[in-house]
Amino acid sequence: MTMTLADRQAVFLRAILDEGAPLPEGWGNSQTAGMAVYRGNYRSALMGALAETYERTRAYVGEGPFAQASINHAIKHPPSGWTIDEAGEGFAQTCAQFFTENPEVAEIAWLEWQMLCLATAPDTPTFGPQDLAAASADFGDDDWEGLRLEFQPRLAARLVDFDLQTLWQALVDDDAQRPDARLESVCTCIAWREGERPTFALFDADHLAAVTAMRDGATYGELIGLLLGESAEPDSGLDDEAIQNAAMRAGAMLGQWLQEGLIVGLNP
Amino acid sequence: MPPHHDNISPFGGFGLGLRRTHYDDFLGGFEAGKVPVDFVEVISENYMIEGGRQLRILEQVRKDFPVIIHGVSMSIGSAHGLDADYLAKLKQLEQRIDPLWVSDHLCWTRTSAHNSHDLLPMPLTEEGLDAVCANIDSAQETLGRAMLFENPSSYLTFPEDEMSEWDFLTRMAQRTGCYLLLDVNNIYVSARNHGFSAEEYLAGLPLDRVRQIHLAGHDPATPERDIIIDTHDREVADGVWELYAKAMAMLPQPVATMIERDDNIPPLTELLTELDRARAIADEALVPA
Repeated sequence: MTMTLADRQAVFLRAILDEGAPLPEGWGNSQTAGMAVYRGNYRSALMGALAETYERTRAYVGEGPFAQASINHAIKHPPSGWTIDEAGEGFAQTCAQFFTENPEVAEIAWLEWQMLCLATAPDTPTFGPQDLAAASADFGDDDWEGLRLEFQPRLAARLVDFDLQTLWQALVDDDAQRPDARLESVCTCIAWREGERPTFALFDADHLAAVTAMRDGATYGELIGLLLGESAEPDSGLDDEAIQNAAMRAGAMLGQWLQEGLIVGLNP
Repeated sequence: MPPHHDNISPFGGFGLGLRRTHYDDFLGGFEAGKVPVDFVEVISENYMIEGGRQLRILEQVRKDFPVIIHGVSMSIGSAHGLDADYLAKLKQLEQRIDPLWVSDHLCWTRTSAHNSHDLLPMPLTEEGLDAVCANIDSAQETLGRAMLFENPSSYLTFPEDEMSEWDFLTRMAQRTGCYLLLDVNNIYVSARNHGFSAEEYLAGLPLDRVRQIHLAGHDPATPERDIIIDTHDREVADGVWELYAKAMAMLPQPVATMIERDDNIPPLTELLTELDRARAIADEALVPA
């Protein structure tokens, strides 16, 4: 049966991705030698892309272990998108499986990926404390209750067990000594863009649920409800003090987000 | 009949690829003043992004230099057609930058499932030609302009090939109205790997459709590997310079020449010295005998 162009391209690409895959019928030594070059190109392109995206992860774990993790990732997740940068997507999960004794590696890799994504995010002017003051000058209770926030488009947040600021700085400074960076309690790491520069900081753990809820469309009133739920003792009634504490906590969070430039607008 | 697109006028300058290492030079930090090039070429995919510093730098460079956008992922030879998302983003970049022209390669890079991120060789068959021409028509229609396509370097040929690469390129240009980007290093590499004559290749092309030339370095064959590889990681080889001189003497119109360097990128001054060599060869070739 005659092979179509689509068949031939599928067989060719399968042979590049899988060195054990059969080569097309009728191929001789010259084609086999040529295929070895394409296989080498494919592998080195992916390894190169991962090494460039995960420069700090690579420096942290060392060349050999990084190469093993990269090969593992490339085999399990062959790229499908048109940009080679996508080859690095999900590498933090690969690191979590590969470096089980060092869970901080997956956190560093997660952060590097977010920083890369933020570097090319849409340019959006931030909405600071003064902008909120001006916009909310005439707000009544209902306006505050129903207020929604628009965060930077590629802002990313997750819980972390390690002080990524200390680890990151040690990698920037190329410190031979790896700092003991395990946090006393879990924190939320938020990565965002400050002007053109991707940046990140650690926040209290409860920021993750708060940011996630508000990015999903929760109102400021619902945020207070969420925080109230987290702080309330089981079976305890809701008293005025608890409500006031939750409102103050929400206010403090909002202040931090505005101050850091995480917010780009109101009521999207 | 190819769909109508405006002709691409010949542009006879000398340029370099814009690489991150040289951003500061192009943004005014070059010691000797403005970088002495007539244009810069950028890899399209690096700027098909939504925002950030990289895009701002390109816009700044564009104020001082004509820009060519050169892609590696259009996959014009794909049996599965073109990626609509890719084309839409390329169109956005084209509108943002207003380039001298838009180019890509005669190759395929992906199937419907996976992407090789390499410039894979086309089977030189009637079916392959039909697929390429349909895809070029679609890309040119979307962009609203004619494109340039570059001859690739290749490391194997297919038993089912029905024509030479130069015949394929000629018919492709005739059917689609596209133009050619002649990579002289790629001709040299493929000629050496497949045993054809580089001069015959040049003579077989519709040279009036050539608008640009690429020059680059390659990794020579070794005792273990009787294949030379297009690497863009070193200076242009003497044999490639000789072929460039022959090409320049044969071309009936001015073309844009550039040095491509993608790895082991040296200081800008070294690339400018190589570009001066291209200028000298071109000057000599254009002097009537």
